[in-house]
Amino acid sequence: MSYFFQLVISGVVVGSIYALSALGFVLIYKSSRVLNLAHGQIIASGAFITYALTVWVGIHIALSFIMSMIITFFLAMSVERVFLRRLIGEPIISVIMVTIGLMSIIDGIIYMTPFGAENFSFPEFLPKTPLAFGGVSISWTQLVGLIITFIMIGAFTWFFKASTVGISMRAVSDDQFASMSIGISVPKVFGLAWATAGLSAAAAGGIIGNITGLNFDVLHSFGIIVFPVVIVGGLDSIFGAIVAGIIMGLIQQFAAGYLDGNWGLFGTADVLPYIILLIILLIKPHGLFGIHEIERV
Amino acid sequence: MAENRWLATGNFFTSYRAEQRIFLTHIDRLIFVCFLVLLFAWPLVFEVSNKYMLVIDSILIAIVAVYGLNLLTGFGGLISIGHAAFMGVGAYTLATFSRILGSDHVLLTHFWPLMILLAGGVGAVFGAVVGLPALRLKHLYLVIATLSFQMIFQWVINFSKFLNQGQTIAIGRVFWFAGKVARKEHYFFWYYVILIIVVILGFAVRNLLRTRYGRCLVAVRDNDRAADAMGMHPGFTKVYAFALSGFFAGVAGALHAYLWRGVGFESFTLHHSISYLAMAIVGGLGTLVGSFFGPAAILMLELQVENFAELVGHYITAVGDVATAFRPLSFGLVIVLFLMFEPRGIANWWRIARTYFKLWPFRY
Repeated sequence: MSYFFQLVISGVVVGSIYALSALGFVLIYKSSRVLNLAHGQIIASGAFITYALTVWVGIHIALSFIMSMIITFFLAMSVERVFLRRLIGEPIISVIMVTIGLMSIIDGIIYMTPFGAENFSFPEFLPKTPLAFGGVSISWTQLVGLIITFIMIGAFTWFFKASTVGISMRAVSDDQFASMSIGISVPKVFGLAWATAGLSAAAAGGIIGNITGLNFDVLHSFGIIVFPVVIVGGLDSIFGAIVAGIIMGLIQQFAAGYLDGNWGLFGTADVLPYIILLIILLIKPHGLFGIHEIERV
Repeated sequence: MAENRWLATGNFFTSYRAEQRIFLTHIDRLIFVCFLVLLFAWPLVFEVSNKYMLVIDSILIAIVAVYGLNLLTGFGGLISIGHAAFMGVGAYTLATFSRILGSDHVLLTHFWPLMILLAGGVGAVFGAVVGLPALRLKHLYLVIATLSFQMIFQWVINFSKFLNQGQTIAIGRVFWFAGKVARKEHYFFWYYVILIIVVILGFAVRNLLRTRYGRCLVAVRDNDRAADAMGMHPGFTKVYAFALSGFFAGVAGALHAYLWRGVGFESFTLHHSISYLAMAIVGGLGTLVGSFFGPAAILMLELQVENFAELVGHYITAVGDVATAFRPLSFGLVIVLFLMFEPRGIANWWRIARTYFKLWPFRY
């Protein structure tokens, strides 16, 4: 039974990171209807900036974590300003393909840095001995990551429910013309959506980097695992992204824990989310919490 | 006024039939035939090294693949980021035969045209299955469906013992009337085979767009509700487009397998899917000539980038791996710059050049 609870714990940890990654993705989709395929690359850059600030510059990790969020905030904002602003009004297909191009560009830039080829890991700043409750244990990094993730998710929820900027972002996602007519600057909101997405991505990247170490392949694969998460949760639901992220983390951990090694199956955790994605697309495309009013063919 | 089919300075169509002609003037037809003869004749005249023949063969294979992608993305408005996976399905169809029957079985070496067709068919089936969500959903969701197919494909290949876990599976040399195709003539032989396939499929695509189905596809892309109201079925049209694109990809995959005499996982990754998409964009979405320009431009660029990276690598050795960095960087830049400044691709330059020469010496 403790094996089960151990899987639940690690599932929730992984899942909450998925939730945080998916949050930024949903934000961009909600406000500007753009599928951001470069999200994994933004997560990776956030993690690398955190590492560079901590180890190479020598700032305390908490401070560099916050600083990398701020830097990525402005980076994502400028990405929107430079590449996506001029595509407003173009068919959505070319906007999506610009994000594919962006993905390649950021890939290229990261390959030029040492991060592209080598693995790094953050210096230990927390106690090494894991916390144990009965037979279940959780490492300090995971616990701190989990707490930060939930704080971030809570902050974002507050931001969208109560703050003026958040409400105007929701308004734009609801109806662009109506929000323009009440004086919301739609391009500014798009920029802000990208910036906030960058911020949450950097946070996710920093946490992943601390838990699993810095490996570019692992980090940018988080940008692809986001797709099953947002489809299960509903593409335009922030709450759905959070719930589905945790569900997906649990599914992956259970698959790795119970399926692998039996019946000749291996690596099921990598493929199960995508199979679920395809099934959900066929039977319930708006996901668990998405708006039912889906664009019909 | 009897129209002059040799020299036309503008459009003088009097019937829909005339507008749908493949070659507007006899000069067009003449130039096309001359070009074709040139394509078939030049390897006989010039001595080409195997290395360059391989590049040219790869371009031709990419053209076949991009036909399919262009049909789907350009004419159907459905983005696919799993095109390399569909190619992989075609290639691994051959690999399956090779694993069961042995790499030099008669079926693989003597009946290779049949195998190529079969690979196309299997690709089409997979395309249709992945495209099934198109019955209900629009392109945003289909991007995700194709992406997840790519991921599932990669997993299946990497984790199945039967498919050698992504390691190369050998495919034997094929036989021709004159006997086994020798090592020296291998690229030469496949150049002609692929060229013939490219020409046949090119005409197939061009004619497909003149048929009811092709116009249906374009109508669904432009306005699916209007198309629905006109009595077309947008969902089935899209699934059909996925199947067709899968067919082209499957054929391209089979050709790839035969050309490289083996099937390996690393030729069908997400990066390749993206580069096929880049080819389609750079060439010009929704144009047939774009399918030729795109692969040629991107693969040439890739070659140049490799040379350039080698050059730079001599001088700067400290900074990362320059060669692996330049490839995605140049790719992404090309995609983004084309989308921002020339969304109609190289095909648009071609169109401008053509109209210029057609009207020369007049400017308009």
